[in-house]
Order: sequence, then C-alpha cells, then structure tokens
Amino acid sequence: MAISVKLDRVLLDRGMSLTELSERVGVTIANLSILKTSKAKAIRFSTLEAICKELNCQPGDILFYGDGETAAE
Amino acid sequence: MRAIGKGSLASILAVGLHITRVILWVGFVGLSIAMVIVPLVPFFVDAATGVADVNIDGDVSVDSEDYLNIAHHFVNFGVMLFVVNRLLEILKTLRFGSPFVKENADRFRGVGYALLIGQGALIAFGILSAVFDADIDIDMNPIAWLAIIAVFVLSEVFREGARMKEEQDLTV
Repeated sequence: MAISVKLDRVLLDRGMSLTELSERVGVTIANLSILKTSKAKAIRFSTLEAICKELNCQPGDILFYGDGETAAE
Repeated sequence: MRAIGKGSLASILAVGLHITRVILWVGFVGLSIAMVIVPLVPFFVDAATGVADVNIDGDVSVDSEDYLNIAHHFVNFGVMLFVVNRLLEILKTLRFGSPFVKENADRFRGVGYALLIGQGALIAFGILSAVFDADIDIDMNPIAWLAIIAVFVLSEVFREGARMKEEQDLTV
C-alpha cells in the first residue's frame, strides 16, 4: 500500500500536456515527471496548490492511497 | 582560501594524496617482493656459492624478526594505501558533485575497518615481536582509537546526509 499519483489521468481529462502544466505552475518537467511516475518522496503544499489551481481539481483527484490496482480504478 | 574548487584546500589535499599514493604503491610493491624474496635469500646464497648453510658474518641469514619487520611494514603500507584510495574517491565526489552519497558512507566505513585492522595488526605484531624478540615499535596511541570511532561516526553522518539529500532531490 502506498500513495500513488494519477497526474497523467487528470492531464488527459483536461487535454493538457506535461510541458504546458510545467510552464503554468513553474515546476520543471523533470520534477513533474518525478511526481507523475510516483517516485517523489514529498510534495510541497505550494506545488500541490499550483497544480490543483491550474487543473481545476482537488488534491484527492491526483493522489490515491492503495496498491497499484486500487489506485488505477 | 576556498575549501572546494580550483586551487582550493581540497585540490591541494588531492595532489598531496596522489603523491602519497605513488610513494605508498612503490613501498607496497617493494615490500611484497621482499616478502617473497627475503626468505629465499639463504637458498640463493647457498646455490650461488655451492656450499650449504653459508653465513657470511651473519648478514645472509634471515631471522624471524627481520621477516616480522617486513610483514609489519607490509600491513601498514597496505592499510595506508587502502585509506588513501578511499579518501581520493571521496574527494572526487566532492569535486564533481555532491559528497552526500551512500557510496561515501560505505567508503568511510571501509576506512574505519581498515584502521581497525591496522590497530589489530599492531597488537598482533606486538605480541609476535615479544615472542621473537623483534625490534618493532609498538606505540598504542589512544588518539588512533578515538579517530577510528570518529570515522565510523562520520560514516553514519554521511549515510544520514545521503538520505536527506535524496529526500530533498525527490521533493517536488
């Protein structure tokens, strides 16, 4: 059981690319890739806030707690 | 004077360690050859002269204390060579990026074990020198033991530093 990030799904829903999100929130593509692939060890509230603002979503839409299959549902 | 970068203390230390490494290698190779050759010297002399048990003024015979002295220096040079190599590797990471990596923690631990082996060997040679009446200077320095403990502590500091660096790198 772990926290997984479903940023790619939200990006797909909004029709936005990772590069575009990177420019809008001011976070490097490398860091967003770390977040997208669930390799990140921590996420700053400021980063989460900026992502939620640009994608018009809630933190719960991006972050999931569970195993890989549960989170993918 | 700067601590890191071109013309810094780290660069001077690296140059000093490189020179020391060359000297240690020469000494270590010389002692390795001596370890093999010295016990065979009397046989060579016997073979060369064609007379068994030649002892020219006692200089040709190899006593156990002579061999013990060579072995003592061989271990010392080996330990020093290992420590210098590890220190050079640590300095390399300092010059080309971040020193806070797990490998450096392992290197410091290796240095600690090498120094421990060096001190253990010193005790062993002390006992052997008493048995064989060899003239080996056994100076048990408490500072050396404190240094070994300090190196092990430093190793754990680097391990924690590496963990914190990784966490920082993976914080978005």
